[in-house]
Amino acid sequence: MARSTQSLQVRLLVTLALLLLAAAGVAAWALDSMYRDLGLRARQDVLEAQVIALIASADIDAEGRLVPENLAEPRLAASGSGLYAEIVSSRGSWRSPSALGSGLNLAATPATGERRFEYARLADSSRVLGLSLGIRWVLEDGSSRDFIIRAAESLEPWYEEVARVRAWLLSGSIVLGVLLLAGLAVAMRVALKPLHQLETEIADIEAGHRELLGSGWPRELAGVTGNLNALLAGDRKRLERYRTTLGNLAHSLKTPLAALRGLIESGHTDRESNLRQLDRMQEIVQHQLKRAVFGGTGATMTDLPVQEPLEQLRGALAKVYNDKSPRMAIAVAQDTAYPVDIGDFLELAGNLMDNACKYCRSEIAVRAMPWTSADWRRPGLLMDVEDDGRGIPPSERSRVLERGARADESVAGQGIGMSVAREIAAAYSGTLEIGESRLGGARVSVRLPGR
Amino acid sequence: MRLLIVEDEPALLEMLARQFRSAGFAVDLAADGVEGEFSGKEYPIDIAVVDLGLPGMSGLDAIRAWRKAEKSFPVLILTARDSWQEKVAGLDAGADDYVTKPFRFEEVLARVQALLRRSGGWSQPLLTSGIVELDTRSQEVRVAGTPVELTAFEYRLLEYLMLHAGEVVSKTELTEKLYEQDFERDSNTIEVFIGRLRRKLDPDGDRQPIETLRGRGYRIARD
Repeated sequence: MARSTQSLQVRLLVTLALLLLAAAGVAAWALDSMYRDLGLRARQDVLEAQVIALIASADIDAEGRLVPENLAEPRLAASGSGLYAEIVSSRGSWRSPSALGSGLNLAATPATGERRFEYARLADSSRVLGLSLGIRWVLEDGSSRDFIIRAAESLEPWYEEVARVRAWLLSGSIVLGVLLLAGLAVAMRVALKPLHQLETEIADIEAGHRELLGSGWPRELAGVTGNLNALLAGDRKRLERYRTTLGNLAHSLKTPLAALRGLIESGHTDRESNLRQLDRMQEIVQHQLKRAVFGGTGATMTDLPVQEPLEQLRGALAKVYNDKSPRMAIAVAQDTAYPVDIGDFLELAGNLMDNACKYCRSEIAVRAMPWTSADWRRPGLLMDVEDDGRGIPPSERSRVLERGARADESVAGQGIGMSVAREIAAAYSGTLEIGESRLGGARVSVRLPGR
Repeated sequence: MRLLIVEDEPALLEMLARQFRSAGFAVDLAADGVEGEFSGKEYPIDIAVVDLGLPGMSGLDAIRAWRKAEKSFPVLILTARDSWQEKVAGLDAGADDYVTKPFRFEEVLARVQALLRRSGGWSQPLLTSGIVELDTRSQEVRVAGTPVELTAFEYRLLEYLMLHAGEVVSKTELTEKLYEQDFERDSNTIEVFIGRLRRKLDPDGDRQPIETLRGRGYRIARD
């Protein structure tokens, strides 16, 4: 998807802005309708109070109209005050002085005891809310007459207030939204800072200014940076090994090359002497190749269950040592697995088992089990390879492990399997130790740590 | 002994062929995996030497194909990479032993002879039948402790019979195994050589180390 290249920050901000807009809209609508409801109720209460006040002060005049004797509300007396009243009956009607010339035109004619609210427009087209109440007035002679008492109030001032509140709500929401988005942008910059830091550090590594990522990464990034560091360290180790191997190779080929050149230049044509130098060079190449094959670092490896490769090695060695046919016992604890390259593991175990078969009298034993520690999320690996041969005396052990480690050392006829195995173990930050087997011969113990 | 070499490097193929022939083998050659697979399936070979890295069909696939076709002759693999991963793959596919390149011919020969002995049921390089002794390493033959001079073909014939000691070996089998594919064959030749061999091993004619089973072939007794 093309959009996936867009900045996370921009995507988050756009989404949040849309969400905020929707939330502000809903909130403003709710506030507005609540305010209007309350306002209308208040207007209605005012009108009812006016109507009741009118009834209280009214009496029948000479012409048979019902007329308030005094106006308690001064707004009814002032023209154009916005508060109006009238009392109508079949005998004629009374209007408050404020209503004169206003064009007040309420139409509702409720029955006795009934009241009706209505909206109407005055002559100047301003809007009013009116209340009409039907009453029956009992005269002194015991007869009765029906009147409609009306009060109306201009809605304009209230509408203006509603408009003001709406404007205030709108601008308030906008300011709040902008402030929230700005705050979010800042918060995201702060939260994403480690990512920028990571980017910078990786660029530094590429440029060769630093070798590994620093420490103290937030928990969410620690896994990634840890793996990256392991990968980088493994890469560097491998590079160093290649360099060493190349250096050793070139260096160690010099001597036989010089000898060969000397033999040829001096007219020496002894076939055996020339062949000896060639053999030496062959040995050197083979030896360095063997040391260079393994892959190293377990940072990106998936767990390799070790039972099957050990069985494969047993099958292979049974053929190679057919004449001797040693008994080969393999005991692997259930679910023993380790993040190791299959080639590296076969090389490690193959060299050790090969040696055991070579030096045993009649039997070898291989044991493998997980190596657990509270510090590790993934367990390490413990592996013992034993034989019933003559063993390796303590004084010889370090020599066996170092054998062939220096390329210019003569390796003729000497197996370098053990030292290659030790180097593979070291590439996985592990160790290899030689001890005594309960079978009577040597026991080689490999310990590869977990992570 | 009839030996198949599958190797794509012409110089190496030629060198191995020459040396195995002078060591008394009838040699069939294949320069790639497809040809090698065909030869291994179609010709009555006793042993194969196979390079693992081949064009066309890999050495591993050729070995697997032979084993699937129930060809049980021993196979020696030549590996360029001295890694256990490759050795395990080769031995797992059905090979019986390996030699790592570069190698000395003596080493390859020793492995081939060991595999042949093993497939004949011998666990030692010294094959014996009665008073006849044959040392596959030095290619020396003794009768009652006295060395006997044999020609190359006579030696091959005796070695084949002794490796298959206790079994009846037909004349057809011998012609097939001792001659290369394109060799002019004459069934009487075997009879002539058997006659010479008998005179050399048993000049007085009282021991009869090589038994003739009329219409079926020859047999050397197994101790």
